[in-house]
Amino acid sequence: MKVKTFHENIFTLQQGKKRFLATRNLSPGFEVYGERLVQVEQAEYRIWEPKRSKLAAMLLKKLPSPFTNTSKVLYLGSATGTTVSHVSDIVQQGVVYAVEFSPRTMRDMLPICEERPNIIPLLADASKPQSYANVVEPVDVIFQDVAQPDQASIALSNVQHFLKPGGYLLMSIKARSVDSTAKPDTVFKQQLKTLLEQDNSKLELVKKQKLAPFHIDHLGVVVKKTE
Amino acid sequence: MNVKTWFADIEINEDGSVADCSPCTQDVQQLAERLLVFQADPKQIPPAGFDPVQNAIECGFVAGETEYYSLLQQVCIAATRLKIKNSYSPDLRIIHAVEALDDIDEAANLLAERLGIWYGEHFPEAGMLTENLAKFVAENGLRQDLQQDSQFHEAARSSVGMEMDAEDGAIIKAFAADLTSLYERRHVIEAYIHKNMEQLAPNLDEVAGANLGARLISMAGGLQSLSRMPSSTIQVMGANQALFKHLRGKATSPKHGIIFNHPLIKNSHPKIRGKMARALASSLSIASRVDAFSGQLNPAIKEKLDRKVQSIKEGSK
Repeated sequence: MKVKTFHENIFTLQQGKKRFLATRNLSPGFEVYGERLVQVEQAEYRIWEPKRSKLAAMLLKKLPSPFTNTSKVLYLGSATGTTVSHVSDIVQQGVVYAVEFSPRTMRDMLPICEERPNIIPLLADASKPQSYANVVEPVDVIFQDVAQPDQASIALSNVQHFLKPGGYLLMSIKARSVDSTAKPDTVFKQQLKTLLEQDNSKLELVKKQKLAPFHIDHLGVVVKKTE
Repeated sequence: MNVKTWFADIEINEDGSVADCSPCTQDVQQLAERLLVFQADPKQIPPAGFDPVQNAIECGFVAGETEYYSLLQQVCIAATRLKIKNSYSPDLRIIHAVEALDDIDEAANLLAERLGIWYGEHFPEAGMLTENLAKFVAENGLRQDLQQDSQFHEAARSSVGMEMDAEDGAIIKAFAADLTSLYERRHVIEAYIHKNMEQLAPNLDEVAGANLGARLISMAGGLQSLSRMPSSTIQVMGANQALFKHLRGKATSPKHGIIFNHPLIKNSHPKIRGKMARALASSLSIASRVDAFSGQLNPAIKEKLDRKVQSIKEGSK
């Protein structure tokens, strides 16, 4: 397979006509959730499936990736850690603070944290950033995938507390979780309004893009904190 | 300003420099417990932009970043483990029992149907179904093995069913025995739910009955979350399809969800079911709240419901 760099530490593998998104495995030999491992010239890559990961879908839909090798990341809504593990691959020298509210899913993520030195698990409520403010440092990137009715305001409160000036917020807005009866476009508009039209929020929309066909009724959003 | 971090209480000056700091010892378990205390009740919260990593190094808590992150990870994993361990509530056992019951029902119905067809080929005159049939076959086997004094003896002799030999008999008898034990398991689990509901949610048990009460807890995801639901939600819980159809503006609102199975609603005239459902749901929500927060049986809830039911019935005459 032919490896090409897609973004820093994010790759595409070409096999015939098929192109896969992949990251370089931080703990070679271990797969996290049954994904394919591919060995190419001394390095092991993990195939990253956009249908299973909103972040992968966002990247393939040409939203910019703010991740670097040393990024500090706050990940809200880590669930069982499938996407977190890829972020951990990308920020090899950085840190991922993974916040998840449900003990049940966190139980599945713990083994991944033990395997990878750069994931810090936090079993906490993302809508109460104060409760983990004694641990989390100012970060370069906040990624949010929480599927909550008030997800824009959850993102906002975390951005205000933890995002460095010049840092990025990536979020996937799930219309069906905000309001299952309203039209998705209305929901997106209203959530973006909550996020961007606050006084002193110092946030600027970089790009937004719907995540179809990978995820229906989801909007991927990249926002920059200006100062 | 005095702030709490996971590794120390730090006194910081106006300009953000450290005035005073007394780091904790590097004991993972102690630090994990400290983390959880803060999480449960955040006080002296570090301000936005506060950098714990630099402060930990300045404090002399750790020598460098590598040591900081490795220790932080250990502490967070330990804290998460502790929190997961303490997150299980007693109603989880009821939830699993109710769901096991549903699984058994599904499996038992499937097997009972198969047994009915299979044994029916051999002895259609038996005319029994489900549990009775399973018990009958498990005890008696084929029709030619019936005792003289059996009430089916005569029917068996003149049966139009297919002939089966001893080998067929052994297979079908064992199959019926398995099904019987499945039914027995169901009764055991049901008794278990009844017993536990009495202890865990006595009021819900009294108003709803053990089965419906347990099902409500299971659907809500726990007694605590059930107690936080408005009574209108409890009223239509389990009628999701109808509810969303209504919310999209395409239908009238559903009157009852899973609570339809309560005799008060099921046995009422359709005209007053809506009123009954509303009265029952409000009693259920109060009962679940009393159960979640005090756990003592309060007979007044049921009495109030009975009075309300009486007035609805009289009003409809």
